[in-house]
Amino acid sequence: MTRLFSYLHLPRRYLAHTGHDSSFQSRSSAVRSPLPTALLSLLLALFCSPGLLACGGTASSSNTLLFGAPLSLTGSTATEGHLTLEGYQLWVKEVNAHGGIKVGNTTYQVALKYYDDGSSPTRSAQLTQQLITADKVNFLLGPYGTSATLQDEAIAERYKIPMVEANGAAKAIFSRGFHYIFGVLSPASEYAKVMLEAALSLPNPPKTVAIISANDSFSEEVATAARDFARSQGIEVVYYQTYPSGATDLTGVLTALKTSAHGGVPDMLLGSGHESEAVTTMKECKQLNINAKLYAFTVGPATPDFITSLGPDANYVLGSSQWTPQEHYQGIDFFGTPANYERIYKQTFGHEPSYQSAESTAAGLAFQYAIQNAGSIDPQKVRDALARLNIMTFYGVIRFDATGANTFKPMATIQIQNGQVATVYPKEVANAQLLYPTPPFSQR
Amino acid sequence: MLIVQVIVNWLLLGSLYAAVALGFSLVWGIMNIVNLAHGAFILVGAYTAYWAFTQLHIDPFLGLPLTMLLLFCLGWVVQYVAINRVIRAPFLMTFLLTFGLDLLIADVVQLLFTSDRRSINTAYSGFGLTLGALHIPFDRLLAALIAVLLTAALSLFLQRTRTGNAILATGMDRDAARLMGIRIDRIYALTFGLGAALAGAAGAMLVELYPFDPSQGGVFTLRAFVIVVLGGLGTPWGALAGGLVFGLAETVVPLLPGIGPGYDDAIAFALMVLVLIIRPRGILGKAFYA
Repeated sequence: MTRLFSYLHLPRRYLAHTGHDSSFQSRSSAVRSPLPTALLSLLLALFCSPGLLACGGTASSSNTLLFGAPLSLTGSTATEGHLTLEGYQLWVKEVNAHGGIKVGNTTYQVALKYYDDGSSPTRSAQLTQQLITADKVNFLLGPYGTSATLQDEAIAERYKIPMVEANGAAKAIFSRGFHYIFGVLSPASEYAKVMLEAALSLPNPPKTVAIISANDSFSEEVATAARDFARSQGIEVVYYQTYPSGATDLTGVLTALKTSAHGGVPDMLLGSGHESEAVTTMKECKQLNINAKLYAFTVGPATPDFITSLGPDANYVLGSSQWTPQEHYQGIDFFGTPANYERIYKQTFGHEPSYQSAESTAAGLAFQYAIQNAGSIDPQKVRDALARLNIMTFYGVIRFDATGANTFKPMATIQIQNGQVATVYPKEVANAQLLYPTPPFSQR
Repeated sequence: MLIVQVIVNWLLLGSLYAAVALGFSLVWGIMNIVNLAHGAFILVGAYTAYWAFTQLHIDPFLGLPLTMLLLFCLGWVVQYVAINRVIRAPFLMTFLLTFGLDLLIADVVQLLFTSDRRSINTAYSGFGLTLGALHIPFDRLLAALIAVLLTAALSLFLQRTRTGNAILATGMDRDAARLMGIRIDRIYALTFGLGAALAGAAGAMLVELYPFDPSQGGVFTLRAFVIVVLGGLGTPWGALAGGLVFGLAETVVPLLPGIGPGYDDAIAFALMVLVLIIRPRGILGKAFYA
């Protein structure tokens, strides 16, 4: 809708009606369409200011390290954005409760400054710039999602402020030769692979798979990696199709898929996209009476509202997860184990942590140990310390390759069983058996 | 058999899209207001149905009259309190006002229901008619039937009742209608209320078929806009025609060899441009206010 407005170039004189003064305007001077953005910002300011104040980190006093992050608190990835924020907030709370970060003889408290980017990558980039130039943050934590991260990392690179991101997994983020971007999460190619491996571990594994993917760079990267891996393992890819990212209706794709496996439904349906599309796929499979033996989605099943919005139909669905509370890690950080992280998180926010929260907390931990190792808060020294970092945390190993990606941490496969998330693969960390095949919708 | 299934999918989705655009078409055709808060009304309808289903266990289809009544009242109040004040102001003012309303309503919805995705799962979802390889889901069929029914009902109301005629007369010539003794402000409030009620009905049906979150209002405003331009203003059947054409781009075209689903938005908008070139009034349109 905002795009619709930007074409109209509404005249500035109408601003008189909205009660803005010119100083407000100057802040968003880089914006192409001044009016809607100004209006939006006003409303955002109205709705978000209590949140901003609550985070309490506006002043960068001498003994406070200020971390900045643009986050998608409204818009299409608002759910994931809030989970990211909670992950950051938990780290801030715990690090301060444990005495802050020691650098030489000085102890620094930590504060977080965040803005809502409305799930818009362009807005996210503007806010990153604002965080660096106006708010003078010391370091940057990542936004939610690959698209926003791709925008923001360029700003971080320009100002030579290290950014540790926790929610952008596409290879593209790390293939631009940038030196100030670090990602704590496993790369995109792992997302589908771990679920196919789980399927292959079955005594009677699926023989045919249909892969559907949103057409954004992250999802397509995951989908092509999945196709190549499935073929290399002897699973026949009978259907491969992309659809527009954010599509609300997938009946066209699913109708074609229904007869793709030599006239029948493929054994396995693998979706690479976003949570909303995963929910839509399951709803429409039920409506169209498509009964695969296994459903798997790269993003979606691990977020709590996948289960609440699908109810019993969420059962048996596989998901890939960067982290699950069932994994066995003994970290050097104050959380220590995944189980302990889950406990503290639940105490703080009243609900289960998702992997988005855990990886976001891990991004904070990466900074914490890098700053300690560097013995300095100089951005350049902290960057170098990040590049050398190799620590075991509650989230798994945090260690970056030459491009800044964490290729050293494995992923896990989860399955929804009786409305609960169970870890089913790899076997070493699993707390439940993989249930297979999925019963038809009519028999649940 | 795939062809028959695709055609059925198309008719079901196209009719549902008619419901999405019906209220938008009415408000634009009669009042010359491009209601950017239309998607927000759909959102309120969806969340009302969701709330009624989860809290009061009212089926979204059975609760449809309730949702529509609530949205009618909301629409009436919004028109009477806010929009009537700028109705004579330049086009841009109503644009701005409805845009602001859209943001406001969507944010209030998010405040009340959080940004989590919501969806209704009824006991009968997933059931349908199976004829060989053809499968017709009950809930989609019901939604499509209701959409066609609403279109017909609105058309009859406008053509056959005194109030409906008064609405049409106001749309044709505001000043002449006033001279004939029609209370313009009330007609406008009624029209806007009806538009909101229809949006609410669409929302209640959408939330049963798709997952919903507060950011989706804008998506449906944009769709309603394209559908109305395609189908033409001034007649409810135009919304149905536009909905079917728009549904075509989403269900049938992507299955043609060589064209993937990635292009369905491009095709929908290309169709819109094509219609605007060949038949600027839309497929069935006749603008009143011009």
